[in-house]
Amino acid sequence: MAGKSKPQRVRDPVHNLIEFGTDQFEQVMWRVIQTGPFQRLRRIKQLGFSELVYPGATHTRFAHCIGVFHTARQLMKIIESREGSQFQKHQADVAVAAALVHDLGHGMFSHAFEDVGKKMGLAMARHEAVSDRLIRESEVSAVFKELGSGFANDVADVIKNGPQNLYDAVISSQFDADRLDYMRRDRLLTGVQNSGIDFTWLIHNLEVGFANTGKDTDKLPQPEVATFVIGPKAISAAETYVLSLFQLYPTVYFHKATRSAEKMFSALMSRVIELVREDSFEKTGLSSGHQLVTFIQDTSCLDSVLALDDTVFWSSLPLMFEADDPLIEQFSARLWKRDLRKCIDVRERLLAKSEHLPPDERGKLLMQLTTDVADDVQSWSDANSHDIPRILIDRDERKPYKHFDDSKGPLNQILVRTESGGVRDLAEVSTTVARIEEFQLFRAYVDQNDDKAKNAINTSIENALKRSV
Amino acid sequence: MSDKKREHEKAAEIVRDAGGQVVGRTKLQKIGYLLELAGCGDGFYFEYRHYGPYSEDLARAISVANAFDLVEEEERKATWGGMYSIYTASEAVGERVEGPRAELAATAAQFGSIELELAATAAYLSAVEGCEDPWKETARRKPNKIGDGRLEGAKEAYRQLSAIRTPTPLPQFE
Repeated sequence: MAGKSKPQRVRDPVHNLIEFGTDQFEQVMWRVIQTGPFQRLRRIKQLGFSELVYPGATHTRFAHCIGVFHTARQLMKIIESREGSQFQKHQADVAVAAALVHDLGHGMFSHAFEDVGKKMGLAMARHEAVSDRLIRESEVSAVFKELGSGFANDVADVIKNGPQNLYDAVISSQFDADRLDYMRRDRLLTGVQNSGIDFTWLIHNLEVGFANTGKDTDKLPQPEVATFVIGPKAISAAETYVLSLFQLYPTVYFHKATRSAEKMFSALMSRVIELVREDSFEKTGLSSGHQLVTFIQDTSCLDSVLALDDTVFWSSLPLMFEADDPLIEQFSARLWKRDLRKCIDVRERLLAKSEHLPPDERGKLLMQLTTDVADDVQSWSDANSHDIPRILIDRDERKPYKHFDDSKGPLNQILVRTESGGVRDLAEVSTTVARIEEFQLFRAYVDQNDDKAKNAINTSIENALKRSV
Repeated sequence: MSDKKREHEKAAEIVRDAGGQVVGRTKLQKIGYLLELAGCGDGFYFEYRHYGPYSEDLARAISVANAFDLVEEEERKATWGGMYSIYTASEAVGERVEGPRAELAATAAQFGSIELELAATAAYLSAVEGCEDPWKETARRKPNKIGDGRLEGAKEAYRQLSAIRTPTPLPQFE
């Protein structure tokens, strides 16, 4: 590059000053930020529709990605200090670069659009697939090439293949730079006062240790792998970290109004996709050259993918007010005005009726009841809706902490060093973490005045409870 | 309730057809994927994850199957420190029907989890990503899992699996 390198700085609400030094690696990272695909992340909000609930939550994937880069660099310094002369600079650079670009492929409204993509079979709605292509094929890869011809592919591989070693775990584990940034950022920008983590203490008590690895009954060839381990003085901080995520689910990520907007968005986008696929785009209110139409007509085109962002969606809504299709016409106007469907929390109602049961039995019964009611309510909605589904069903679950099972191995776990020097999974050491239940939701969204739909849901709940007695 | 087969019933039938017992979530997932690929699945949606082809819907469905007592899930601690699950189908799932599906599922269930993960990953890379040398790419993506003869074991497993006559032949590659 011509000209003298100069340091760059970003002020960030979570990390304060984020600096980019004059060495080649950090200068390249700075230039990656200047590329079109990365700048597009300014137009994708980190929390999608959450700003309809928390007005301050307008922060973007752009800010988050820079924050993840900064956090990954902090974690990597811990590895460097522990590894000394064994420190693998190239592996470290690849992982930190991956931290910067890990979310490059997110589409409008991130996970809400991914759900639409899954339902409608759009491969390029998956952010991992888009990120992979952008890192390997776009102007981002051209910038990465300054660090070596294979650097871009190495970065893409780390994201695609998951953690193979300690360095990769910096961006892909239950204690990774991604989560360490978004938990703090989302809390700060939404303004919720729970869910705080003791970041400083956690980082200062982070060590490198070794853990066994295997899959089911099979031990893996290598006996043990180097991994992050939290020192015994930070076990409480590690517990808080897991509990904070547990609190963020109901408070922020699965807030009922946010999810109502997401379900309406999903129904709206699904209908738009159906009509465009049927060559009936004119019924959507959109023109033939609109970015949404162009994308749906060729979902494999990277330029079409990159043309979509939150601003495109919001600006398309007034066009959809004129749609011939009733669902598109109604839901576009309602999202525009934040006139959301009302939530009936089915699981809470079922839970209230089964609280007398012991936890094991209750969990099983609830799963049976929610499955039966969901099927029943969906059948009612299908049979009693014409152009617009009368009931939108929302079922989901999240584990705040995934136990040490056969899925991803020890690099994915939060491991702690006990006072006796052994390395154990956090859930083995902390009864709080061991007992924390999966967050589950089952909600139905209906129009405020649709008493028949509300009655159908209530009847279904009552019938399911009667059958269970 | 309609007569349509429900997701948790489909998940339980995978366990039944695999011989009545499946050891480990990985194995269940990979058997489920191979059934889909061979045209004798139930329509579970799979996507590529760090540990190969994976279906969130199947993972959820098997939990529900456990709640309905169609399968029993028993968690055990492995010698290497982690936990794993053993799924056993109950009689309520119904009779296993001999045929390509049952043969494929039962054959797959006999192999180790790591070999099956490698084999299913190679099959995915061939079928979905159009990879010209799926074994080479599998080895590149999973360097920590191919040692101690695991890759060779996976190749042998896949050779046996792809020799089964199924509605859609499994992709052929060396």
